[in-house]
Parts: sequence; C-alpha cells; structure tokens
Amino acid sequence: MKFLEKEINKSPLFGLNGSDTIKSLQINAFKEFTRHGFPNRSWEDWKYSDFSLLNNMSFRFGLRKNISTLPNPFPEINNSNRIVFFNGYYQKDLSSISNQISIETIGETYKSNPELIHEIFSPHANPFHNINSAMINTGLTIIVNDNEIINEPIHIINYTSDIDEPIMNHPLFIMKIGNSSEATIIEHYYGSTNIEYWLNAVTKIELLKNSSLNHIRLQEDGNSSYHVADTEYILEKDAKLNAFHYVSGANKYRQNINVNLNDIGASSSINSLCLSKLKQQHDHFITVNHLKEKCISNQLFKYILSDASSGIFNGKVIVKKDAQQTNAKQTTRNLILNDKAVAHSNPQLEIYADDVKCSHGSSTGQLDDNAIFYMRSRGLDFKTAHLLLINGFAKEALKIISEKNINQYVNEQLSYWLENTGVT
Amino acid sequence: MLEIKDLKAAIKGKEILKGINLNVNNGEIHAIMGRNGSGKSTLANIIAGRDSYEVTDGNILYNNKSIIDDTPENRALEGIFMSFQYPVIIPGVNNAYFLKAALNAKRKHQGKPELDAVKFLDLIRKKLKIVGMGEKYLHRAVNDGFSGGEKKRNEILQMITLEPNLAILDETDSGLDIDALKIVAEGVNKYRSDDRAIIIITHYQRILRYLEVDHVHVLIDGRIAKSGGEELAETIEEKGYGWLDS
Ligand SMILES: Nc1ncnc2c1ncn2[C@@H]1O[C@H](COP(=O)(O)OP(=O)(O)O)[C@@H](O)[C@H]1O
Ligand SMILES: [Mg+2]
Repeated sequence: MKFLEKEINKSPLFGLNGSDTIKSLQINAFKEFTRHGFPNRSWEDWKYSDFSLLNNMSFRFGLRKNISTLPNPFPEINNSNRIVFFNGYYQKDLSSISNQISIETIGETYKSNPELIHEIFSPHANPFHNINSAMINTGLTIIVNDNEIINEPIHIINYTSDIDEPIMNHPLFIMKIGNSSEATIIEHYYGSTNIEYWLNAVTKIELLKNSSLNHIRLQEDGNSSYHVADTEYILEKDAKLNAFHYVSGANKYRQNINVNLNDIGASSSINSLCLSKLKQQHDHFITVNHLKEKCISNQLFKYILSDASSGIFNGKVIVKKDAQQTNAKQTTRNLILNDKAVAHSNPQLEIYADDVKCSHGSSTGQLDDNAIFYMRSRGLDFKTAHLLLINGFAKEALKIISEKNINQYVNEQLSYWLENTGVT
Repeated sequence: MLEIKDLKAAIKGKEILKGINLNVNNGEIHAIMGRNGSGKSTLANIIAGRDSYEVTDGNILYNNKSIIDDTPENRALEGIFMSFQYPVIIPGVNNAYFLKAALNAKRKHQGKPELDAVKFLDLIRKKLKIVGMGEKYLHRAVNDGFSGGEKKRNEILQMITLEPNLAILDETDSGLDIDALKIVAEGVNKYRSDDRAIIIITHYQRILRYLEVDHVHVLIDGRIAKSGGEELAETIEEKGYGWLDS
C-alpha cells in the first residue's frame, strides 16, 4: 500500500489537468481503498484470489517513451483502426483511426461530461476500482455518435515491454455507442517481458438505444504480471452486446464483469475462452442484472486448464421484479488437462420475477478417452488427436466472433498456446 | 492377412476372451455372431488397438507381423479399420476436416501426396453418394447430432474413404431400417475386393442376405464355440444359441 501512497500524485493524470474537485475525489477513493486494503481469502467474493501479496510488492509508473515503429512481436489484427499505448503512454505515431470515431482523453471527457467522471470516481465496492480512480494514469474515451456504422474494428492495444523494474498501469477506458450505431472494439492487453508488472483496468461501456457492439477483450499480459479488471456494460433499450473475452496471460488475473440490462429488449452475450497453464490463476466474477422485461443474457465461459493452474468462475444472474419474460442462460465448462489443475465454478441465479426462462450449469471434465481412441483408430497420431479435441472444445466459445480477422487472430493464438502446452 | 492365435484378454482383471483362434485371408468375409456380452466388441477393439483391454496371452498377426504392441494409429495406417458399435461424438471437430486429416495421414504414410481441399471435396462427394448422405454431414461436428443410422453410415463413409485392407464392422447393421441396411450392405460390397478382408460382427442374419459370407463363427463366453459356412447363420436364426452352450 505504501508504494501507492508514494506514487499517487506522480500520475500524469492526477487531478485530470489540475482539477481540485477531481483530486479530492481521487484521495477519497484511495481512502476508501485503504479502509479494507487488498482483498484476501477472508473476503467472500475473493475466496480464491488472494491479492494481499501486492502489499509486499512495489510498483511505479513506467517512464514515458515515444516509439516510432511497432514493437516486435506485435499482435496485429488486420483491417483495424489502431490505438497503441506503450507502458501506459499513448503512441501517436503508431495509432491511426478513422474520423468517424471520436476519441477523447479522460481529461477531455471530464470537461464534456463531469457527472460521468464523478460517478466513476465515487467509492465503489470493488477495491481495485477505487485504486484505479485514485491512481489513474492512462486510458481514453471512444465515442461512436448516433446512427454510425463503423465497419472496421477499433483495436486498442496496451503493450507492456522494455521495462527494467516493476511498473503499474491504471487505465480507464470509456466506450459509448450512440443510438442505433454499430461498432467492434478490441480491448487488447499484451505483454512481452518477464519482469513483474501490474495492470489494473477499469472499462465502462455504454450501449445506447438500439445500438450494437462487439466487444473483444484479449488478455495476453506477460506470464509474471498481475492483471485486475473491472468491466461494466450498460445496455439501454434494444441494445445488443456480443462480447468475447480471451484470457491467456498474467500470473494472477481477476476480472469483475457487471452487465446491466437497463431497459426493455436489451440483449447481452458474453463468451470467454480462458487458457491457463503453469501456476496461472484466472478468476472471473460476473454479475448480470436484468432490470426490465424482455431482456436476454447469455454467458458461456470455457476454461482449458493445464499444469497446476486454476480457473475460477463466479457468476450471478439477478432477475429483478420488473424483468418479466427474461431469458437468461449461464454456462461454464472446464477442461482439465492435468490432475494438478483445478476449477472452481459457481453459477447462481437470483430470480424475483415469475415469468422467466433461466438456466445455468457447469461441468468439469477431462479429455474423452473414447474420442481420442476413435481418432487414433482413423490414423491420427496421439498428439494430433489431443489437439483436435481440445480445439473442438474451444471452438464453441469462438463462434461469437463474427469478424473474420479477429477470429483468425484468436485461432492462431489458441493454436500457438496448444503447441506450447505439454499434451501428455 | 489376419491370424489370431490363442488370444486371451481381460478388463479390470476379469477375463473376457478365453483363447480365440481365427484366420482371415485376403478376399474373405467372416461373420462373428454371439449373444450380448460374449466378447465380440472386445475382440474387435483389441484388433484395433484399444489399450483399456489387457492382452494376457496369445498373439495377433497382421500380414505375418505381430501387431500386439502397435499403437492404434499405426494399425490404422497399415490398413486396419474398425467401424464402432457406438461411434463417438467429437464436439467441435468438423466431419470433413476430420476425414481429410485421416485420409492425408494415411496417404502420407503410403508416400502419396496429400489431397488439397478441392481434390478432397471431389472425392468425398462421390463417397457420400454411395452411402446416401448429403453434403450437410460434412459441415457438422463428427457424429454430433447424428441419428443412430446416420452414425453408422458415417462409419461406412470413413471406411470407403480410407480404403483399409481389413475392415471390422461391429454391429454396423444394428438399429438400421431396411433401406439403410441395404445402403450399408452395398457400401460393403463395393468395398470388397480380392486383396481386402472383412469381419462382420452381427446379431442378425439379416445383413448376411445381402452379402456373400465365407465363414460364420459363433462366439460364446470368450471362445469360438462353432464355425461353419453361411448355413450356420441360418441355423442360429432358427434355433438361437442355446444348442451351442456346453
Ligand atoms: N469397459 C468395460 N469395463 C468392464 N467390463 C466390460 C467393459 N467392456 C466390456 N465389458 C464386459 O466384457 C464382456 C464382453 O463385452 P463385449 O465385448 O462388449 O460383448 P459383446 O460385444 O459381445 O456384446 C461383458 O461381460 C461386458 O460387461
Ligand atoms: Mg458389442
């Protein structure tokens, strides 16, 4: 905690360009955090994710560096608008974006929409959200105006590399999709370093009436990093969210996802593919709130767990009294590749309306020996049979990605991961 | 082609096969009949190389070489094929992709060039016709959502595509209506040649009406209790298995 105190006013965004109101909100958020500190196992909602180890560590903000050529390796997704952050700093030379899309700094958003920033910086139940408010050092706002169809995906890359001491980043991303607009946004975290770092992201995504968003979140941070995220989706009337969350990076990862189906006819589908190996820990905590009638929500979370990794899923779908004719489904599937890997899945339903269609389920299993033998008996070797079967398991989650280039990117990452994960 | 010598096998310590002797030559069709639980599928699976069965004694020679220590994939590449009594669903693995991968693995093993997508499609369209399957089956996951009959046809499709030398059909005729049965029988007849052999495991004489079988064996409690010609199948259809119990 000490290191945070030392760094709080060193953030380039502290006070968002000198506002005292914001500074006091930030100091307040920090106080809120210090009341309880980092979550540990004794916190019910953090039972499997002990982050008290951050107490004994020390992170600083990275040094500003402007780069003129894409770092290598670079996770290219073809035909995308591109926004690059390098160790938390926006890279103008590497970014290019169509003028159909408005981009603001968080400081600018504070000027145009102070209430929104006030709301985000107010005390929050999630301690990492409070830390993000206090320490915010990077991020941006993407606004798609009303009635705009953005065909090319918007690819935001948070690239961490070339550091010689542990750094931290607390980005805030705000995305607003205007009435009857359509867009695809890729929120991408990518690390190419073995040095420990800490990424603590807050993302707030608003889908206005009748809009439609494909949100692709790719978490490929370095294997010795810590990644914590708080992602909130707010859907207005008839808005449609298709989200895909790919997770393969970080040593310890925790994401809180909140979905608020605020008005009639909103629909949200979130699929996730989570690939875990070594001692990685990947934890999702998701709450879906059905507030009004005729909304649809779907979650399909698939974990592939190798070595001594663990995959954690806590999901809660809450159907409020007014949310009649809700259609909600939550599913987790864990594929265990090694006896030392563990899965904890806990999907829950909380229903206060009576005319609803809700289901939830979870399953944990290993590769089907019958299927492996079947494939081998057709001449496929042991390894090919395993890879095909694991790939087949993952495929279901990938169906939600309609954009070809993104689909191809994720498939390549998956194949690469499988090739480098011991199939025994 | 196939020589089984005094084969004994167990599952989880329980002896299932108690000394099987069987010779199958090129060009022959053998039928193996027997009650449920007599060990027919066990025998088929052991020939195909499933390692959950423990071979405790005896040997299996294929083209004069013991295959007892071979992997299932090696046996397949060398020309052994088993049509599963219960074909397995492989979620998320596309049927065409699977078949193409299997065919190319075999072609590679034979030193032939692999087929590209276009050539494969040409080939598979012809094969689909033989078993009366539409192209939609290519785009589905292997056996996923297939009816019992569709699964069995898919097995025959694999057989006539991979062109094995020894095909073992484990109750491929069970649960088929008469039309499907004829299609399967026709697939087998088309596949049949002087340098190939077939072992048909069945409960019924039905399918044997469409095929010319050279030998019929009756398996009782892990042993071949009687062997004969086609007339043995008819006798069993009339009298059942009781008269063979010792
Ligand atoms: N996986 C298994 N575990 C335990 N027993 C088995 C297993 N598979 C088969 N058996 C037993 O082996 C015997 C022979 O089975 P099987 O070969 O399937 O007979 P068939 O195909 O002639 O009906 C039966 O008694 C059956 O219960
Ligand atoms: Mg059987």
